[in-house]
Amino acid sequence: MDLATRLLGTDLGSPHGVTTQDQWTRQLWHTTYWFAVPIGLIVLFGIFWCVLRYRHRPGSSRQASQFQYHIPIEAAYTIIPLLIVAVVFGFMYNAENKVNAVSKTPAVKITVDGFQWGWRFIYPNGHQEVGTVANALDINSEANLPVLYMPAGETVQLHFVSEDVVHTFYVKEFLFNRDLIPGIDNTADFNVTRTGTFEGQCNNICGQYHAYMRFMVRVMPKDAYDAWYASQTPCSVTTAGQSNQTTLPPNSCPTSLSTERQV
Amino acid sequence: MTLIQDRPSEQPPRLEEPALMEIVPGPRPHGLVKYITSTDHKQIGLNYLVTSFIGFLFAGGLAEGIRTQLIKPDNHFVTENVFNQLFTMHGTIMLFVFLGPFAFAGLGNYFVPLMIGAPDMAFPRFNNLSYWLYLGGFLMLAGGFLTNNGAANFGWFGYAPITEAIHSPGPGADMWIVGIALTGFSGIFTAVNIITTIFTLRAPGMVMFRMPIFVWNQLVTMFLILLAFPVLTAAFALLWLDRHLNTHFYDPTHGGQPILWQNLFWFFGHPEVYILALPYFGIVTEVLATNSKKPVFGYKGMVGATLSIGALSMGVWAHHMYTTGAVLLPFFAALSLLIAVPTGIKFFNWLGTMWRGTLVVNTATLFCLGFLACFLFGGITGVILAQPVLDFQLHNTYFVVAHFHYVMFGGSAFAGFAGIYYWYPKMTGRKLDERLGVLSFVILFIGFNLTFFPQHDLGLRGMPRRIETYDGHLGWNFLNLLSSLGAYIAGFGVLISVWNFFHSYRHGELAGDNPWDGQTLEWACSSPPPEHNFEALPPIRSERPVWDANHPDMLTKVGH
Repeated sequence: MDLATRLLGTDLGSPHGVTTQDQWTRQLWHTTYWFAVPIGLIVLFGIFWCVLRYRHRPGSSRQASQFQYHIPIEAAYTIIPLLIVAVVFGFMYNAENKVNAVSKTPAVKITVDGFQWGWRFIYPNGHQEVGTVANALDINSEANLPVLYMPAGETVQLHFVSEDVVHTFYVKEFLFNRDLIPGIDNTADFNVTRTGTFEGQCNNICGQYHAYMRFMVRVMPKDAYDAWYASQTPCSVTTAGQSNQTTLPPNSCPTSLSTERQV
Repeated sequence: MTLIQDRPSEQPPRLEEPALMEIVPGPRPHGLVKYITSTDHKQIGLNYLVTSFIGFLFAGGLAEGIRTQLIKPDNHFVTENVFNQLFTMHGTIMLFVFLGPFAFAGLGNYFVPLMIGAPDMAFPRFNNLSYWLYLGGFLMLAGGFLTNNGAANFGWFGYAPITEAIHSPGPGADMWIVGIALTGFSGIFTAVNIITTIFTLRAPGMVMFRMPIFVWNQLVTMFLILLAFPVLTAAFALLWLDRHLNTHFYDPTHGGQPILWQNLFWFFGHPEVYILALPYFGIVTEVLATNSKKPVFGYKGMVGATLSIGALSMGVWAHHMYTTGAVLLPFFAALSLLIAVPTGIKFFNWLGTMWRGTLVVNTATLFCLGFLACFLFGGITGVILAQPVLDFQLHNTYFVVAHFHYVMFGGSAFAGFAGIYYWYPKMTGRKLDERLGVLSFVILFIGFNLTFFPQHDLGLRGMPRRIETYDGHLGWNFLNLLSSLGAYIAGFGVLISVWNFFHSYRHGELAGDNPWDGQTLEWACSSPPPEHNFEALPPIRSERPVWDANHPDMLTKVGH
């Protein structure tokens, strides 16, 4: 890899995610670039121009001009930025509604439960995929991480809860962070357009093994996902790094979790 | 110089002098005792400056530890727990001990009375108390490392409930709470003191709209402190009760609300960001105006921009909480984006101040130019992060780390260095060595950008902040290596300046009263100023009385 690819391997921030929401994120990067790059360059040019053109040269008899106000210019650089901010806000408002939209009829609902230090993914039939850092303390190995199975091309609703402290669900390719806060129930919809395996990570400091609190997201074609889901016994628990599956008695088998207080 | 009249030879008898002798019987204290018992605003200001700079070096050392741990994947320079302590105390000490108090208490104490022509602060002993609380807070924070379980280890904004006793047992977290509360009280007392000083002790002729921008910015900063710090103290008091008296304000297992902590903390935390920035904007304004030999361009617009930044900053706290799913996104996004407007006004005013001037490019100017470049970039990434959808992508990644270091280090701390190089002659009577200063700036600027520019890309590549180590297969290795090397270079740049401070204290070129052809009142007294500051004041008919007295042919043009 050459240096430029190494440094700018991310398309200057304009990201390519794997969900249908990523177009909105990319659009905001672009609108921000349209305004921010020219403004930044103008200011930078202004700095250089002032330093090069108006710096004091020993022996020069030029005297500094003693003006202080120029109302039209001052008005211009107050009003124009206000308009720009309004436009940026408009795009942002639209994109935010799209990204945050939550479907009433998602194809799949999965509960994402974070704890010190690991993840538990709970499916509607009570099947759980669990993994803790106790089995995953080799940072260079993804073998024993818990896996979140998702179908591609379907609206998957993730429901975020935490058992102890604040964690954050973060998958780089989803271009998305959402906190798991005790006392707050969060949901977000994802429609992943590409099959594949992506790495996720807790993104909020949650104690000693925060760096090891990782997971994998395996996005499968719909029929493969359906076959996988059908093969999971209800209330069974698969623990990453352990070969045997356990099954919970039906009365202690959660089909989803809630941390919202009962009022 | 001509503006200070010679003391009349036939001096009228001064009635105060015998009285003063009665108040302080016996020999005046000297040495360390003088430093720590003085009620002179300049001595207290120096105490603050020195203490906070020690805090800067200490927290900078912690940062070098962080970067050493992250220099390569799967590194084991320190353990997970120690790493968590390093970044927690790095952030805490940089913000609560260095960046804030350095400007609003150190430079504020020293220069606000001088700039408004006052003999001292309004409450000199109260001022001394503030310093003591502050020093106690610093020692309490740093002392956390000496305890059994080490210092606090949950990040500088300590999101509940990880701060509860069950998750973070031990005295480290308690010392963190008490240390921050002490520095908070110190800040509140300083704010009361400086506000009173500005409102009541201005010299005749120094109306509000003739105050230097530095003083204006200090005034707005102090009001932000009064609004923000009590909330912080209250939040910390509740946390203390949770930890020791079994209350459950933030404890979800008994019906407490962790999100309450986030709201309280950021209600303090975002004004705090401007508390850490506005005084530094003031420094940049003063240095650029003086070194351009011009009045501040758009003075009244500048004051307006400062006031609107202060006002807006009270309504943007939840932009740290976009990903909680518990805040009204459009409201906080709109106010956060709006802050770009007054900040932009300041930028154009700085450009206008240099425009058609004769800019003397010395070390102080260079640090200001470095500030402009870094703060510009940090401001643009700030506009990116202010948009919730983009924050969903970037939240808590290294992109955020890069953003706030561009604002706080490349921005505020560079301006702080500009302030040191600009005012050191006033405080010590000697100039800092210019060649060492330029060298320090160049190395620091290169090191800083090498450290933090790659971190933007690291964030886009998905590296979360505060992780102790990382997988070697994710494309983060090279950028982390660059970043760590940059941190060492930047540290070296800082040390050159530290050497300069020591060396020039004894061997620097004698500065005289007004080495930079300054404009504001602090240049009208001797260097260093005597107790109670002024023997005579030039007439104050604009916001730059010293310039008017020295250059009666170059008064500010009226109109536009």
